[in-house]
Amino acid sequence: MYAKAIETKELAPGGMKAVALRGVEAVICEYAGRYYAVSRACGHAAARLERGALTGWILTCPLHFAQFDVRTGEALSGPAPKAPETAHRDPRDPSLSTRGLKTWPAKAEDGWIWIDIP
Amino acid sequence: MSVETRKAALRFLFAPIVDRLGYKFTPNEEDADFLLEQEAALEAETGIPYCPCQARAGERSEDMRMVCPCIPFHRSHYDAMRRCWCGLFVHKDVTDPDRLRQIPESKFKAGN
Repeated sequence: MYAKAIETKELAPGGMKAVALRGVEAVICEYAGRYYAVSRACGHAAARLERGALTGWILTCPLHFAQFDVRTGEALSGPAPKAPETAHRDPRDPSLSTRGLKTWPAKAEDGWIWIDIP
Repeated sequence: MSVETRKAALRFLFAPIVDRLGYKFTPNEEDADFLLEQEAALEAETGIPYCPCQARAGERSEDMRMVCPCIPFHRSHYDAMRRCWCGLFVHKDVTDPDRLRQIPESKFKAGN
């Protein structure tokens, strides 16, 4: 069942915005005139994806730079390797797998973007 | 994650970068596909899409000079060959990449 998310004017071409609807946190992305809704948490370490970068249909996580296809939710690459001389855990630790993103159908109608959340 | 989708993503990400540098993907599709596949494999292994045809030194500052597209780090050398080292990218005016030849960096430097 489609739920009203945001007004289309709130999203610039090539932009993205986080929304919370019916207990679901999603990021709405615009690419080539179409809208896509994917889960807000990165499939690697659950970083907030709307703080990353959207390059066409490729969404890059701000934390470790894993990339996802917003059209399908598929993970395109895992995280970047550990920075030199860092005390943080290696983001490519095999125990940290990178899952794809959940997606929901999205559409624009009457000046609003709607997301189909069951 | 699949090799095919990663190859498509690398194409999408690299195209506008090399375009501004005066280059394009090689018109030899078989070569382009093979080289992108090797890069995707290197990226899956290391996290970085290194040039598949250059040996990594193991020193970060040197290795970063061969992250694809590595054209800015070897500009005069590649411009002289009208292609990048592995041949994934060629000058925009190149129609027959098979006629281009690699020039070893040492030989290129000696000639300048």
